[in-house]
Amino acid sequence: MKKYVLLILVSLFLLTACNGGDSENGNADNGGQAGETTIRVAWWGNQERHDMTLEAIELFNDIYPDINVQPEYTGWDGYWERLNTQAAGSNLPDVIAMDNSYLNEYNSNELLIDLAPLIDDGTINLSDVDDVYQEINHDGDRVLAVASGANALSLVYNTEMLEEYGYNLEPGYTYDDLYEMNLAIKEAIEEDGGEFFGYDFANAEYELFNNYARQNGMTLYNEAGDGLGFAEETLVEYFNWVHQMVADEAAPPHDIMMSYIEGGNSMLQEGTAVTQTAASNQLIGLSQGTQFELDLTILPALDGVHANYIRPSMSFAITNHSAEQEAAAKFIDFITNNLEANEILQAERGVPISQAVRDHLVEIVSEPVQKTFAFLEVVAEYTQDSDPLSPPGETEVRGAFIRIVESLKYGQVTPEEAASQFIQQAENVLN
Amino acid sequence: MEKEKKIPASLSLESRNLRADNLSGYLSISPWLIGFILLILGPMLASLYLSFTDYNLLSAPNWVGLANYQNLLSDGRFLKSLEVTFKFVFISVPLKLIFALALALLFNTGRKGSSLFAAVYYVPSIIGGSVAIAVVWRQLFGRQGAITQILSALNITDANLIGNPNTALSVLILLVIWQFGSPMIIFLAGLRQIPLELYEAASVDGATKIRQFFSITLPMLTPVIFFNLVMQTIQGFMTFTQSYLITGGGPLDETLFYAVYLYETAFEYLRMGYASAMAWVLLIIIAVITSIFFLTSKYWVFYQSEGGR
Repeated sequence: MKKYVLLILVSLFLLTACNGGDSENGNADNGGQAGETTIRVAWWGNQERHDMTLEAIELFNDIYPDINVQPEYTGWDGYWERLNTQAAGSNLPDVIAMDNSYLNEYNSNELLIDLAPLIDDGTINLSDVDDVYQEINHDGDRVLAVASGANALSLVYNTEMLEEYGYNLEPGYTYDDLYEMNLAIKEAIEEDGGEFFGYDFANAEYELFNNYARQNGMTLYNEAGDGLGFAEETLVEYFNWVHQMVADEAAPPHDIMMSYIEGGNSMLQEGTAVTQTAASNQLIGLSQGTQFELDLTILPALDGVHANYIRPSMSFAITNHSAEQEAAAKFIDFITNNLEANEILQAERGVPISQAVRDHLVEIVSEPVQKTFAFLEVVAEYTQDSDPLSPPGETEVRGAFIRIVESLKYGQVTPEEAASQFIQQAENVLN
Repeated sequence: MEKEKKIPASLSLESRNLRADNLSGYLSISPWLIGFILLILGPMLASLYLSFTDYNLLSAPNWVGLANYQNLLSDGRFLKSLEVTFKFVFISVPLKLIFALALALLFNTGRKGSSLFAAVYYVPSIIGGSVAIAVVWRQLFGRQGAITQILSALNITDANLIGNPNTALSVLILLVIWQFGSPMIIFLAGLRQIPLELYEAASVDGATKIRQFFSITLPMLTPVIFFNLVMQTIQGFMTFTQSYLITGGGPLDETLFYAVYLYETAFEYLRMGYASAMAWVLLIIIAVITSIFFLTSKYWVFYQSEGGR
């Protein structure tokens, strides 16, 4: 008898366990009424971006009451780990925010759908969009994603400080100018007993080198994406400059730079740096938390050569796991073209790619946002064609680059050793 | 003849009963058993298979044989992570155990309130592995952290201990030692098991407190020391949170724990097959070290039940 009681107890336990699963599913379904489709939308960002995007989603719900949007958002850290595991479980959200460095990886694993048919039939309307903004999102005839904003790698600077010490960063200034300016300002401030670290690399040494290679007429990766596309001397030259900046204290040591980043602080906002590398749309965030007036300029010239390029800061793509591609496409169209939605989003993801949206916003957005609009027009005069998409494995190559820059800054390796170490490690990954 | 026939009959009845008993036994452990098979054994076998493939999470795995294991040998960061992890385990585990034992001795005096203090000192172990404490630790030892400020005011050092490749590991070791609570509680239980008459006899013979500690307490405590040593060593090899959250493995990979490198390889660089191979190597390392402890234990662990051998 006893054992039957047990049997019943165990079966009851198992039944409840199963029921638990059922009721969870039930809840998810209850979110929408009959006839509704549900799409999941994932993005990364900070709290401001989350708030603005959620507000835009509410507006989307008003316009398309039959489409229910489930947001999934996190910070940049953890976003890709999350997506990668969802990809492994064939459970990716319908719409995902894409970064250039992952586009190829996701495309080559056949996780993204071709948007070209949806663009051709007008579900996603790109008639107001200049081709330059979409170039990087193409794979042959396939359209992998729609840019949610454009930006360019730039230098953000403190205008007041620059004026005070009598410098300017008009296009044409060089890497050496940057070095001398930071040293001079540092000297002046420290004489008055202040704290000053100089140029904040902001952990973007890799992106800056990408530009440096282009200024030398080379590329970071070769055309086929199975190796590097620059000469070793070029990297040695660049590392020499980085080393000189840090060794002579025109830029802070690595641990100070990292402690600012990890603490979510910025030297530029605090006034202990006068310049910082940043994507142009970061000016908006940086301007919010500081008393100083900040502005943008293009990257330094090398022997008069400029190699900036405009790129989508991020894009939206539709995944292969989506069962509601039509609804997902409507969402992307809404984010790209809806004026009211873009008013809410404040161009924080980068300058909107639709001319109509830009024209509508330019009068009503805040000053830092206007500066990013104006900056892209300046950059356009100094651009070259953008590089092909970075090959799968870029994340690991970038990781190796950052580690080697770290040991260079700590003085553990010479620029020559650093360059040959990086080339060897990168080729190991790419082959 | 009849007798012979009867025996198998009764046997078979018994074995049927036995089988029924077994069934209800399995049923009653089934919640655990199902969990074990689905959540531990299954994934383990899957990872064993994946360790022989080039699985990258996003597309189907291809068989590559022993390539992952061979590549480990020439992977500089893998060797670095081994070095860091061994350094960490061999420094932090003995220190932690000594600390735990010292406090357990202190709380074993039976003074008023000693159990309250034991409870208070256990708190870091409950919260110590958490994300919040890791963040607090990063703040305390960071560039403008309280501890950095104090050290700098005392003119000991004005460096940022977490950012300095020579000291970053020490900060993590300190955090782990601070979580001495669970070995302490186990030591405390062990100390209370030691028969008081041993001490009485020793004091009658005129043995000093120190002599008593080395001749009675320590030998009697060896089974507990052994247990703590094994558990803490295993835990030490699997340490992840502290390094991942406080230093991210840096600076210069000086705190790149094995588990952190494994995680990075699997989820950031998408080399799941390679990471699975790393996980199995770690399992083997832990198994070897644990069995060394077990093999040597007969020379230094004394069990009362075996006549104090």
